[in-house]
Amino acid sequence: MKVFRNLLDGIKPNFEKGGKLEKLYPAYDAFETFLFVPDHTTNEGTHIKDAIDLKRTMFMVIVALIPCVLFGMWNVGYQYSIASGESMTFIQQFNFGFWKFLPLIIVSYAVGLAVEFAFAVLRGHQVNEGYLVTGMLIPLTMPIDVPLWMLAISVIFAVVIGKEVFGGTGMNILNPALTARAFLFFAYPSWMSGDKVWVQNASVDGYSGATILGDLASSMNWQSLSGQWSISDMFFGTIPGSVGETSMVAIILGALILLFTGVGSWRIILSTFLGGYFMAYLFNLWGYNELMSTPAHIHLMIGSFAFGAVFMATDPVTASQTNKGKYIYGFLIGVFAILIRTFNPAYPEGMMLAILLMNIFAPLIDHYIVQANVNKRLKRATV
Amino acid sequence: MQELVNIFIKSIFIDNMVFAYFLGMCSYLGVSKTVSTSVGMGFAVIFVLGITVPINYLLENYVLREGALSLLLGDSFKDIDLSFLSFIMFIAVIASMVQLVEMIIEKFSPALYGSLGIFLPLIAVNCAILGASLFMQEKDFSNITEATVYGLGSGVGWFLAIVAIAAIREKIRYSNIPPALRGLGITYIITGLMGIAFMSFMGIKL
Repeated sequence: MKVFRNLLDGIKPNFEKGGKLEKLYPAYDAFETFLFVPDHTTNEGTHIKDAIDLKRTMFMVIVALIPCVLFGMWNVGYQYSIASGESMTFIQQFNFGFWKFLPLIIVSYAVGLAVEFAFAVLRGHQVNEGYLVTGMLIPLTMPIDVPLWMLAISVIFAVVIGKEVFGGTGMNILNPALTARAFLFFAYPSWMSGDKVWVQNASVDGYSGATILGDLASSMNWQSLSGQWSISDMFFGTIPGSVGETSMVAIILGALILLFTGVGSWRIILSTFLGGYFMAYLFNLWGYNELMSTPAHIHLMIGSFAFGAVFMATDPVTASQTNKGKYIYGFLIGVFAILIRTFNPAYPEGMMLAILLMNIFAPLIDHYIVQANVNKRLKRATV
Repeated sequence: MQELVNIFIKSIFIDNMVFAYFLGMCSYLGVSKTVSTSVGMGFAVIFVLGITVPINYLLENYVLREGALSLLLGDSFKDIDLSFLSFIMFIAVIASMVQLVEMIIEKFSPALYGSLGIFLPLIAVNCAILGASLFMQEKDFSNITEATVYGLGSGVGWFLAIVAIAAIREKIRYSNIPPALRGLGITYIITGLMGIAFMSFMGIKL
């Protein structure tokens, strides 16, 4: 650590006011505060004092994502070994997935942070660590076969249009990771859905690597599918899908970390699952198509429902800020996710769009919750 | 009944005036600075749409369409096709309805009247309103109830859009947006992003 400190102190004068590289100060500042707890304090106004800051919060989310990342890497190899018929040991499967997934992470971080640093230097604001989480979430929501240049384009779109034009971290209205995914989804649909993209090299030997949702949407019967995938497959996550979304176990581990550290809102997670269960249960009673008659608890386990509820919906920037609002926000995400899944044949997965949709209405929910509170208190004051 | 519910849901979410057709943008951008005024504007649009679409439906089916006059005036008129007049007739109906709304709002809520300002009379040339009437012409509704429900649904969809963007604009009021994008620029970008989110409803078959 001392080496870093000395190094940083040594080059610091170059970046300070009047130095040669004065313009690059935000970049320097980012590295310094990433490695060391900053010692400067504000000298005006009132501030809440707390040990946790943005960097530490974001870091907790990364920690919570680790189970999903590790499991996702193994699952990539596992699905490949099923599809290709190659027999691989556990370590080989993990290795295979690791080398497939690593480029996605590297591209996502390299491109995203480059854009972030460029904006920080140009506009003279601090580099915010929001991208540490976004950069990890983006590859996790992608199919493993996505070309790297597409990933790079979607990352640029998400960071520039989704975040930086609003003034950077904390100001955006749509979740940047989902913006990236939605951008790819609409710009290159053939790479983002269907039955060929979820398993590495699936197209080679005609193996159907469709996700469970994809199968259900093409009116495959639920009963025949449950022969192919058992409930424990869905729970442990040995099914095709986006890299991070498949395993309930890994997601629950992540959720526990988020809840234990207080970084994720339990209100949102709880109400999202309630909303999804409620809607799926209603549809079970109706039973109009295959997706509707899929049991409600299965709905919560397949696709990206759990992943979205735990890691995307709880994004503190784009979710509702008020406690009552969080219940409404989460519940409607669950409802819309199942609704889009069942009614929209074009999109087998509704979670991404449901969260984006509620991101848009979150400020409105907050507005009315706050307004109701103001009215209540006004009444109390004037009587 | 099911048909009516279908039309209503479709016109709110799937054929949303703002996010699917990008109609009615002028007042959508102009009056969406605060939630309270945008709610007033939204209700005015719902009201105007809920009245003008059914009236225009009657005009279309009993006056303008080819052979429509014969229903009222007898067989000798069955070759007459007045549909070239539909634009001007629709606009006339819309303009008079907007005058009515203006007078009502001025009488009952002078504060709202003040904050809506020029945009209230401008509803008359709001393309969402004329658009709804023209879509109605295209969609061939079988009776006037369907047309009314379609008008109300389009209005509610527009209402949702303007209220949502007003809340977002209130939220980002103190954001550090690049100077060149402040005001309208960022609003256009937000509208585009909202359009992406509303894409979730495209393709739903009801």
